Amino acid sequence: MSEYVPVPRLAGAVWLRNARVFSKLWRGALLPTFLDPFLYLLALGFGLGTYVAHINGIPYKEFIAPGLIASAAMWSSAFETTYNVYFRMNELRLYDNVLSTPVEVQDLVAGDLAWSATRATIYGIVVLAVIAIFGLVSSWWALLIPFFVVLGGICFSVIGYTFTALIPKIDLYSYFFTLGITPMFLFSGLFFPFSQLPDWVHVVAWFMPLYHLVEITRGLATDPAFWSVAGSALWLAVVSAVLFTVPVRALRRKLVA
Amino acid sequence: MEVEIGPAVSARALSKRFGDRVAVDGIDFDVEPGICFGFLGPNGAGKTTTMKTIYGLATVDRGQLTVLGLEAARDRREIKSRIGVVPQETNLDGDLTVRENLMQQALYFGIDSGKAAERAAELLEFSLLSDRADERIHGLSGGMKRRLLISRALMGDPELVVLDEPTTGLDPQARLAVWGALDRLRRRGVTLLLTTHYMEEAERLCDRLVIMDEGRIVADGRPADLVRGHVGREVLELRLDEGCDAERLVGSLDGRIQGHDLSERTLMLYADNAEALLEGLDHDAFPTESAVVRRATLEDVFLRLTGRSLRE
Repeated sequence: MSEYVPVPRLAGAVWLRNARVFSKLWRGALLPTFLDPFLYLLALGFGLGTYVAHINGIPYKEFIAPGLIASAAMWSSAFETTYNVYFRMNELRLYDNVLSTPVEVQDLVAGDLAWSATRATIYGIVVLAVIAIFGLVSSWWALLIPFFVVLGGICFSVIGYTFTALIPKIDLYSYFFTLGITPMFLFSGLFFPFSQLPDWVHVVAWFMPLYHLVEITRGLATDPAFWSVAGSALWLAVVSAVLFTVPVRALRRKLVA
Repeated sequence: MEVEIGPAVSARALSKRFGDRVAVDGIDFDVEPGICFGFLGPNGAGKTTTMKTIYGLATVDRGQLTVLGLEAARDRREIKSRIGVVPQETNLDGDLTVRENLMQQALYFGIDSGKAAERAAELLEFSLLSDRADERIHGLSGGMKRRLLISRALMGDPELVVLDEPTTGLDPQARLAVWGALDRLRRRGVTLLLTTHYMEEAERLCDRLVIMDEGRIVADGRPADLVRGHVGREVLELRLDEGCDAERLVGSLDGRIQGHDLSERTLMLYADNAEALLEGLDHDAFPTESAVVRRATLEDVFLRLTGRSLRE
C-alpha cells in the first residue's frame, strides 16, 4: 500500500521542476491558448450560431463557451502527459536521475500529475477570462470553475500518463489522440446537447471525463444545479483516485525493472 | 577512536535476469568503506545492472544485497538518501541552468533552500564550474557536463558514490580533471564504486576491483596483485613471421612462461623476466617481425580472462 502513497514534499519537488521550466517558456506556450477558444467562438459561436440561435434556451455562443474551458484543460493535460512526459522520460532520461534520489515512482507520478493539472488550470483560467470578456458568462458561480478544472485536469492527466507509461514508441500517440481525445472533444456534449439523441448516447458520454467537466463548467457559468455539479465532481475524483495506481505500476515496471 | 563498521556494500549470490537473459549470475563481493572499488568487464558483462541494483533502478531477483547496512530490496528510499549516482548517460536537465540543476537535486533530497544554495556554490567550486553557474547545459563541453554530473551526485552529501563509466568519451585533460575530483572525494572518506573499461583508470583509481564477464565475477583483488597473479611482471609481445609455428614456440618455452595468448599473428608471452626470455629465444627456428618487452598491465589480465573476441 505504501508504495502508492506519495510523499507530498517529494512530489512537490517534481512539481516545482516542471513549474520552473514552464515559467521560462510560458510566453510562447500561452498565446495559442488565447487564440484557440477565440477561433472556436468565431467559427461555431458566431458562424454556426447564426443558424442555431438557442439550445435549451441559452444562446448558442453561451452554450459552447464554458465547455471550451473544459476542453482547453483536456488538451493541455493530454499534451503534457503524453509528449512532454515522454520526452522527459525517454529522450532526456530525467526520470532515471529522479528515481535514483529518495524520490520514488509514486512521488514522481503524483508530482507530474499535479503539475499537469496546474497547467490545465492555468489554461482554463485564460479561457474563462476570454469568454468572460466576450460577455458569455452569466453567473458569479463561474468564479468556482478553476477549482473544478484542477479536478478534471487530474483525471485527464492520469489517463494520458497511463498511456505514456505503457507505450513503447512515440508513434502510438496518434491513436491516443485520434481514438481518445478527439472523439471525446466532439461527443461530450460540448457542441450539442444529448436531450434529443437516443439514450445510449448519454450512457456512453457518462463514461467520458470531459462530459463531466463540461457539465460542471457550463452549470457554473450559467445556472448551476447543485446535484449535477456535485455528482460530476465526485465522478472525476473517484475515477482519478482509482486510476492513480495504474500509471504508478506501469512506470515502476518500465523504469525500476 | 576507530569504530568497527561493516562493508559499504555487500552482495551474496546476487542475481538479476531480464526475461530469458541472465544479466547478473550469482555474484559475491564486499566493498570496504572508504575505498575505491572498481567493476571491470566487457560490454554486457553485468556491471551496469549490478550498479542499478545498488541505487534502486533494478530490483534484486535472487540473493542478498546490503548497501550501507540496509537491505536493498526493502530500504530503497533510505539507501538512496545516502548515496550519490553518476549515470553512464548524461541526463542533466537541459531546460535548467548549471546551478538550477544542483538546486533541483537538493529538492529531491529534501534539503532546504538556504543550505542547498551553500552546497551548490561549494560544489560548483569543487567541479570548477563557478563561472558557468548561470549558463544552460547545452553550452558545456563533455568534460564539464561530467563534472556537473559528479557535483549533482554529491548534493545529498552521500557516504557512497556510484559512478557508471565516469570518463567514457572524455578527452585526456577532461579525464584527468574527473580523476582529480574522485581523488579529492576519496580523501574525504567517501566510498567510491565505479565501472570502467579503461584499464589505466582502474589501475590508477581503484584500491580493489573485480572483473566481470557474462554476469559472473572472474577475478577479484588489488590491481597489482591481479596483474602479478594472472600474467606475471612482464610481457614479451612477438609479431610472428608467416613461417613461424606459434605452438612449437610456446612448447619450447615450457616452464619459463606463466602463460600465453595468441591473437592473429601476435603472440603474448607472460613472464617475470621477459628480457631474459627474449635473449634466450631461438630466432632462426622462430622468425619474428618484431619483439617488444613491456610491463604487464591490467589490460593483459582483462584480455586473458575475458577473451579477445568482440563483445557486442
